[in-house]
Amino acid sequence: MLEHGKIDSKQAILLMISMILPTAILIVPAITLKYAKQDAWLSLILATLVGLLIAWLVVSLSLRFPGKTIIEYTEEILGRVLGKIVGFLYIYTFMRIGSGVCREFGFFLVTAMMPETPMIVFIIIAIVISAYAVRNGLEVLCRFNQLFIPVTGLLVIAFLLSTTNMKLTRLLPVFDTGLLSIAQGAVSPIAWLGEILTLAMIIPYLTKPKEAYRVAVISVLLSGFILMINTMESLLIFGPDLANHWLYPTYNAVRVVSIANFLERLDAVILMVWILGGFIKIGVFYYAFVLGSAQWMGLKDYRPLVLPAGLIMGASSYFLFGINIVEYYSHLPYHLILPEVVIPLLLLIVALAKGKGKKSEDEAT
Amino acid sequence: MLKFIKPRRAGMMSRGKSQSRDERPTNKPDQTVTSGGSSKKQVLTPDLETNLREIKSILNNCSDVVYREFVFAQNEQLKLALIYTDGLVDNAQVSDQIMRALALEVPMSVPGQQITKARALEFIRERGLCIHQINESAQLEDIIRSILSGDTVLLVDGHATAIINKARGWEMRSITEPEAETTVRGPREAFVESLRVNTALIRRKIKSPNLKVEALRLGEVTDTDIAIIYIKGIVNEKLVAEVKSRLERIEIDGILESGYIEELIEDSPWSFFPTINHSERPDRVAAMLLEGRVAILVDGTPFVLSVPTLFVEFLQATEDYYHRFLFSSAIRLLRFLAMIITLTLPGLYIAVLAFHHELLPTALLLSIAAQHESVPYPVIIEVLLMEVTFEILREAGIRLPRPIGQAVSIVGALVIGEAAVRAGLVAAATVIVVAGTGIASFVIAYNLSASLRLLRFLIMFLSAFLGLFGLISGLAVIGIHLCTLRSFGVPYLSPLVPITGVNLTDTLIRAPWWAMFYRPRLIARQNQKRLAQGLKPSPPPSRRKG
Repeated sequence: MLEHGKIDSKQAILLMISMILPTAILIVPAITLKYAKQDAWLSLILATLVGLLIAWLVVSLSLRFPGKTIIEYTEEILGRVLGKIVGFLYIYTFMRIGSGVCREFGFFLVTAMMPETPMIVFIIIAIVISAYAVRNGLEVLCRFNQLFIPVTGLLVIAFLLSTTNMKLTRLLPVFDTGLLSIAQGAVSPIAWLGEILTLAMIIPYLTKPKEAYRVAVISVLLSGFILMINTMESLLIFGPDLANHWLYPTYNAVRVVSIANFLERLDAVILMVWILGGFIKIGVFYYAFVLGSAQWMGLKDYRPLVLPAGLIMGASSYFLFGINIVEYYSHLPYHLILPEVVIPLLLLIVALAKGKGKKSEDEAT
Repeated sequence: MLKFIKPRRAGMMSRGKSQSRDERPTNKPDQTVTSGGSSKKQVLTPDLETNLREIKSILNNCSDVVYREFVFAQNEQLKLALIYTDGLVDNAQVSDQIMRALALEVPMSVPGQQITKARALEFIRERGLCIHQINESAQLEDIIRSILSGDTVLLVDGHATAIINKARGWEMRSITEPEAETTVRGPREAFVESLRVNTALIRRKIKSPNLKVEALRLGEVTDTDIAIIYIKGIVNEKLVAEVKSRLERIEIDGILESGYIEELIEDSPWSFFPTINHSERPDRVAAMLLEGRVAILVDGTPFVLSVPTLFVEFLQATEDYYHRFLFSSAIRLLRFLAMIITLTLPGLYIAVLAFHHELLPTALLLSIAAQHESVPYPVIIEVLLMEVTFEILREAGIRLPRPIGQAVSIVGALVIGEAAVRAGLVAAATVIVVAGTGIASFVIAYNLSASLRLLRFLIMFLSAFLGLFGLISGLAVIGIHLCTLRSFGVPYLSPLVPITGVNLTDTLIRAPWWAMFYRPRLIARQNQKRLAQGLKPSPPPSRRKG
């Protein structure tokens, strides 16, 4: 096997949450609020439910092929040529999400913190740091994530402090925007929660692969819940009309906290969490990209690919998306529906039809 | 012939070459400078003169070795010779218990009876010597080593065996209070330079037959005694084997301090962080052993290594376990804070002043800006200037003789505190930051604070270039690096990462003794329980009922 490390379920859950949330907490509220207004929380409940379906789909597919990642078992299901093509599509997806995160990362830092520094500086540094973690393997990535989790406590504190600015009446009137708007608002968080797809690269390296269902469900539920709290925060503080005009309502929600003329300017806190979270998020997709490529090419070691993969990710994050990040955000979910939902579903159907993979005990019950 | 006076081989220090040396026919590992003789082990002959000549030829020009020839009291014909190194033996014992006993005194039970040459050795061994510990050897190599280690060797004419008397005694520092690890409460004894005294200090704390003290000798020239100590039944046997194999791999001319060994056996030689801890306190080492660690004692130094080492150890002081737990926990948190300050405060200061003014309250910002008005340099230069000055002063304070050290601290205080600010070289706030960082660095264990002091400069540069982003990137790199580290197979950051719930009782806080049920799980693998359940003290039942 390419990866010798093993991670336990708790580590996997934490890693999955850190993979979904860092960009989601900043970007999702604005998009969801734009469509669903004060009913954004309903959108998020809907999104979480769909996310759970995706999680179930990905895990049931993966568990049919124990010890194999999605890159490896697509070949088993679809045959060599078609399998390679689909495998490549997944590698591309990981690369694309990864470089998209790099782009968001750089863009946020430039707009929120250091407008005079070229974006490429942030992207390069983020990729170099993630490369260091990726090179050292999945175990190190998970441990670094665990090390970072306590820092997010600061974010919780910032949230609690911001409750002083909240007005519950901003939630009214409930269910006013209509089902379509709520569904539209759910698309973007579904895309983010659907990133649980990356678990398909990690399941073989769990100490107990059987717990993968639990891992996926808990990760999606927790992420959806945090995302909902987070959207509510912006909503309750600014109201739907103000919040959806900003790119980063969460950031602003923390900025306006001011208690006793002492506890203020907490944006440094969110910056810190965001930067560290960004490293991890980039790291996970970077890892999936590198590991997937190595498996796709049938290499014995993925380490030689770390450097070229980083270059590809960095370059594409800079050139692929152009300047207009907002446009990218609104397109992104529709790009992701294919690899996150459609292909896994097709793969599962083909696998069932061909009788490929072992029948898991869970299916019988 | 004699392994320990072998000349240093070319390429001995390089691992690859030395491992394969035995296979190479060209390299004669046993060749010596003094004699190009055969590589067979030399043994004594029955002839005293020959033996003496042989020993003298090996120990020629060693003016500290004393040869004393005399005649046996029981048999005028029998010649004896004592050989020892002056200064390493207890003179009173050698003269009274060996010389006097053999040359003058006649044992009561055999008055006037002659002891034949053939029986002499046995007689001397059984009844002639009043030395508590004697050995016998016929190997020249052993004998030479014994002489140089401080034993007194007795050669008997007509016998090819020498009697080695342990009558060691040399000038030695007595057991004093620990200097590097002082405490308010706790034992006030520290290790000394003598290995035997040190093992005794540990044995006095742990009187268990399971406390094993394995001996080893390292250093081709110095032939330094090493002891590997562990508690059988608690320690992980694989760990002991690993420690031994790493130690046996060492081929070096000399070992003068445990630091030599530390660098030769550590897991990550390039890391900034120490992956092997040391201590000069017997109670601390005993506590390490009780947690399943292995201690490595080196003759000639009071600093004892203990492996595996965890990162949290550097935040734990021995005293934490003696004070009440609430206070100890608070102090631990304080140390953790000090660690973060040591690493990040100057970087944070630079980042905020150079990039993120908005993070400071306006009043504070104005006052700092006013201070910086007269300063001609950017903040990074200013902080660097002060940090380097501070490091120089600290080094001067350590190296200088004690009386002058005070003068340095006065000059330092004046230079740092007063003159630099007055002259407009640095802002007063910079002085506060540098001084605060310096004091914080004194709080944590010296070897960790040394690595943090170095890394602090890295963080400072990153902050100067990229502000908070640089600072956090630097911390992330350090964090990832810490996650990759292992010490003898145990993840360096455990039990924090990967998290081991039951062991969190002894990390950033120190739980009360009645709640610390388990030894570190990843260190003591088989035998984890160290405490009975239900030891929490409670009032007697009669009271409780009311």
